Amino acid sequence: MTGSNEYKLNQGPEDSISAVKFSPSTAQFLLVSSWDCTVRLYDVGGNTMRMKYQHTAPVLDCAFYDPTHSWSGGLDAQLKTHDLNTDQDTIVGTHDAPIRCVEYCPEVNVMVTGSWDRSVRLWDPRTPCNAGTFTQPEKVYTLSVAGDRLIVGTAGRRVLVWDLRNMGYVQQRRESSLKYQTRCIRAFPNKQGYVLSSIEGRVAVEYLDPSQEVQKKKYAFKCHRLKEDGIEHVYPVNAISFHSVHNTFATGGSDGFVNIWDPFNKKRLCQFHRYPTSIASLAFNNDGTMLAIAASYMHEKGDINHPEDAIFIRQVTDAETKPKST
Amino acid sequence: MAEGGDVEWELSKENIQPLKRGRDISALHQALSQQQDGLSSAINQQRQAFESELRMYDGDDPLDVWDRYIKWTEQTFPQGGKESNLATLLERAVTRFTEEKKYHNDPRYVDLWIKFAETCPEPLDIYRYMQAQEIGVTQASLYIAWSEEYENQGNCRKADLVYQEGFKRGAEPHDKLLQFHKALQARVSRQVMMHVEEEEDSDDEPKEPERVCLADLRHKGKKKAIAPVNRTGPAIRSISGGLQSRGAPVLGNASNSRLVIFDENKSWMAPPTSRAKENEQRPEKWCDVKAPPPPKPTFQPFVEESDQPPTMTPCKINPAVNTVLSARKPCREETPLKRLQEHHQQQKEAESGKPQEQSMYCKELLLSGATEFCFEELRAERYFKKMAQESQEARGQKDQASGSAAN
Repeated sequence: MTGSNEYKLNQGPEDSISAVKFSPSTAQFLLVSSWDCTVRLYDVGGNTMRMKYQHTAPVLDCAFYDPTHSWSGGLDAQLKTHDLNTDQDTIVGTHDAPIRCVEYCPEVNVMVTGSWDRSVRLWDPRTPCNAGTFTQPEKVYTLSVAGDRLIVGTAGRRVLVWDLRNMGYVQQRRESSLKYQTRCIRAFPNKQGYVLSSIEGRVAVEYLDPSQEVQKKKYAFKCHRLKEDGIEHVYPVNAISFHSVHNTFATGGSDGFVNIWDPFNKKRLCQFHRYPTSIASLAFNNDGTMLAIAASYMHEKGDINHPEDAIFIRQVTDAETKPKST
Repeated sequence: MAEGGDVEWELSKENIQPLKRGRDISALHQALSQQQDGLSSAINQQRQAFESELRMYDGDDPLDVWDRYIKWTEQTFPQGGKESNLATLLERAVTRFTEEKKYHNDPRYVDLWIKFAETCPEPLDIYRYMQAQEIGVTQASLYIAWSEEYENQGNCRKADLVYQEGFKRGAEPHDKLLQFHKALQARVSRQVMMHVEEEEDSDDEPKEPERVCLADLRHKGKKKAIAPVNRTGPAIRSISGGLQSRGAPVLGNASNSRLVIFDENKSWMAPPTSRAKENEQRPEKWCDVKAPPPPKPTFQPFVEESDQPPTMTPCKINPAVNTVLSARKPCREETPLKRLQEHHQQQKEAESGKPQEQSMYCKELLLSGATEFCFEELRAERYFKKMAQESQEARGQKDQASGSAAN
């Protein structure tokens, strides 16, 4: 089922994959966190695993700080940084509950973590040490960085926009424009807005500028739904990843499909073949020529039998990712 | 310690909602002291534990978890309020088990329904709905709460009819029903008597309810005077407000003896009080009276010639900008009862025909309780449970091993 433009990574994690992230500088390295308590570094070109390190519990997210340092956190509530050159661990700090998201903000040079303890914490990556704890109204489910702004999605369908240079107050308090639980938020590379996906087959495109003209442009659409025997099956949309050059984005759902969307013309650019199970995470590389696809059952229907977890690397072309100018 | 605690509770009495069952004083102290530093993480953790227990429970009595969770919420948030989520919890709890016939006459379930009804704007509708669904129809507590509600609205005839219905259905426990029914009759007859008396001796007294202070005790008939009721005015019963405890003291006076001391172990202490949800007052017409137009001044106000009134009041934030951020759509006029009926309808449809849409994840698990969970949280709960089990087993094996080694 994998064609010439796509292959499966060897030595994949032994349990569900929680996140895949490409290195910020090269398309060679891919960081993968997993429920098998490990974080792995892959050499994508050579299709080998370069390194792996352990947490004491499943890992829910990971991120590159620079090409040689990875950060990760998970159910053990510990935030770890790992030097990929020397293969050494440092525990930077802890949350009061499992850490759900880890992101890096290059503009402000700060690591951001979000946790189910209803807080976002900032970390200075140079020392490394805690640089502040900011209480959120609910459990943090997803977060994304847009320039120096931080967009936090929590339980209860809330969205909060913070200014990372001035964390004294919340810049904007919003409510998700979708009716159901927020699964994922990712900011546009042009920093104008963000895309939010929900648990019931829907995606919203929103803008940060609060002026009315800009806000008029926001919209939402249905996707990742399959009609079988007259019943519409609605799947969670778990993953979003932006193409850094074209500002188009890919979404992955529990239906096993990956779609690429053009948010400006409101068109679907393409749909890939169906993957064996839910798409848990997606990542474009730095120049947008490759897409890492984590097909991994997320226990959304309970602990049942499921296909093997796998990571696919797919070469993508401009035809698949570039908005069509008509 | 007791002194400090006492002070604490004395200082915040007005923030404590009365509970039928009463409050555990130690829980109250704890809740009040915790509140001073906001919603503490300890409370959040406990709530999270209950929430996950709701989802992970696999025994044969799921109502038990809900019951404990709701009782915990009542004790932990003495002032009620939005962050307690009590109304949502009650609604979810009653909706959750509408299909479970085995709970329909379970006193705990009926209790939840009554508490739920009391948070609703129209409790009577809820009681009627319960009757229609055959929920709690053999439980005395339903009829007592129902009748109380009628009585609070001043409809004593209906209140009595409700008891008749209760007797007809053979509601249990019969004694309690009988006792409350007698108390109702006593109250009604007393009211009638007071009416008569009042009409006799006062015509131009204000109809406003008021207390009589330092008044003589009047003899009624041949009996000796008793002093519990020193309010006058026929309207007292019909005023609804925060304090509605007057039903209780009259209860024991039917036979005119002494103060009744309630048995703590009984689940029903006193007739229910109705309580409206916070900040959910129905919009209503004020009144038809129009304010008289302001009198015209007899002089000409002086206006400087150069003065120009500002065209618009300065506004800090452009309101147009402000509105877009509140993306919440104006929600439909929706009562809890309507939601219940909708839920019932949906379930029927789901059973009879094919549903139009199907969510491809375990929706009930994510959404039960007062807060939502995501897949990862559920899975994390399962993981922690498994870990705990494994470590226990390992410990057990180690103990065995060391035991056998010692032997």
